[in-house]
Amino acid sequence: MFDFWIHILIIACIYGMLALSLNLQIGFGGLLNFGQIALFGCGMYGAALAFSLQWVPLAGLGIAVAVAGVLALFLARLGRNLGADYWAIATLSIAEIMRIIVTNEVQWTGGAQGVSGLSPLFGDLARPMGQYARLALMAGLVLAILAFCQILTKSRLGLALKVMREEPNLASSLGYDLNALRRTVMVTGGVIAAIAGFFYAHYFSFVGPDQLVSAETFFIWGMVIIGGLANNYGVIAGAFLLQIIMANVPFFKDAFDLPTDFVSAARPFLIGAGILVFLIWRPNGIFAERVGGKRV
Amino acid sequence: MLQFAADVLVRAVDLALIAVALSAVYSLISFPNVALVQYAVVGAFLAIAMQAAGLPLFVAGAIACAIVAGLAVVFNMVIFERILKIGAANALIASLALGMILSAIFLVAFGSQPQRLDVPVTRAMNILGARITINQVYSIAMTMAAIGIYALVLFKTPLGRQMRATATNANLALATGIDTRKVTNIVVAISGALAALGGISLALKGSVSIEFGTNMMLPVFAAAILGGLGNSIGALVGALVIAVAETLVTNINFGPLFGEAFWFFPANYATTVSFAVLVAVLLFRPRGIFVSGVNRV
Repeated sequence: MFDFWIHILIIACIYGMLALSLNLQIGFGGLLNFGQIALFGCGMYGAALAFSLQWVPLAGLGIAVAVAGVLALFLARLGRNLGADYWAIATLSIAEIMRIIVTNEVQWTGGAQGVSGLSPLFGDLARPMGQYARLALMAGLVLAILAFCQILTKSRLGLALKVMREEPNLASSLGYDLNALRRTVMVTGGVIAAIAGFFYAHYFSFVGPDQLVSAETFFIWGMVIIGGLANNYGVIAGAFLLQIIMANVPFFKDAFDLPTDFVSAARPFLIGAGILVFLIWRPNGIFAERVGGKRV
Repeated sequence: MLQFAADVLVRAVDLALIAVALSAVYSLISFPNVALVQYAVVGAFLAIAMQAAGLPLFVAGAIACAIVAGLAVVFNMVIFERILKIGAANALIASLALGMILSAIFLVAFGSQPQRLDVPVTRAMNILGARITINQVYSIAMTMAAIGIYALVLFKTPLGRQMRATATNANLALATGIDTRKVTNIVVAISGALAALGGISLALKGSVSIEFGTNMMLPVFAAAILGGLGNSIGALVGALVIAVAETLVTNINFGPLFGEAFWFFPANYATTVSFAVLVAVLLFRPRGIFVSGVNRV
């Protein structure tokens, strides 16, 4: 039971990184990215590719970051003259195209079977210690990325992003290059998502296209909206909260003797309902954005 | 050649009703309501359930459309009117969340098994060399009739004039005495009914499962966006373009290009064609093929 909760915390740390990456884009930049899972997928499949080519695992991180960077630049380019909702649907399409390619290009990606047997993190350590080391690594990573995001969003760049989000025309008239801002924030968020994907792949030792469905993007959206848009601490809290709730759904099902479809329906239902409730009654999330930098 | 036209028509009809519904509401409430594809699933499941309960298909379909139209209005008043005050982006996310909730409810209520309407499965007819089933003919006729009636209402009636006025400039319409809230709700109801009819039309040709909404979302959006969101007749053309692209790519033998006898585009990639067409068009025409009055950054 204790091991189970360590596992849930590790997953929550990984989703925390993803939530931070998406928050940079939608929270601070106001970019409705519906294809975040594709950038996460770059990380997973970067790890898988390095494994199939029998390169050192860290090379996978290099591939992941490079591919995610290029994909993020393409998404930013696409957003150059698209309305927000058009761009949202376009990013969703690109994520779907990527999932279908990955499912069908069997020689590179293992197709629907995926790639298994990736070297696990700290595989040499004995049973309880290995898991603790993994938790420590993931917690360290998420804290490092949190600190990075805090510095970034408190900087002049963060301020520029907020101006772009609130008043794009004002931002251009003040001399901010909106396209450059969009590129920066897409690539930064994309690289963070790819790092999360790389460690996810090595934690599970398995990579498959089932993890790339667009519903996963909405799961991350749920964390950001419930935790608090444009609040870095808030989205991490959202990631942990949702992971812990989801981990309890099977126990709930057993306790009340509900049908098996209940478990697979509970995830979209809870996320959908959570998003709706928060959008209607508390659009700023649990932890609202602190306006104006230091203290108000 | 005729077979190709028949294939295109059948596929276009799949997309057209939901795409037209999407565009119709977009022109008034200026956010793409993603939940509409789930409304189509709701309509199909309701019709299937009511037919199984003993109602004749026609009555079951009509009641299902009416229920979905009512639901669409309720959702609009309870959820979207409030959230739209905060922003169109939030409303888009809310419609996605609503779609997730609907599909979760239907998963628990109906299970993950595909469901069918109780219609006789007939052999394909041979019309001038094109193979087409009678259910496909019904579905095409139904779609054309529904869109025809919608176009008549939009362009020939006082209500249609109010709808167009509200879509063009809501404030001005309000100032001239049009009850824009009422008009919006009527259009929302029409869009719900059209979407439900789209779902029933698909159920007529095969089984409908819970994943159907998710699978339809992108092709339908591609069709609506190609036509210029908010331009409901454009959506019809968008549906045709997507259908032509998908059918062409899967039916043409690209073998001679590579010096081989046969090389067909892998069928697994057929669904990506509509997404790729969408992305490609957006790269060059950011507001769709037919530019509508939408102008936001």
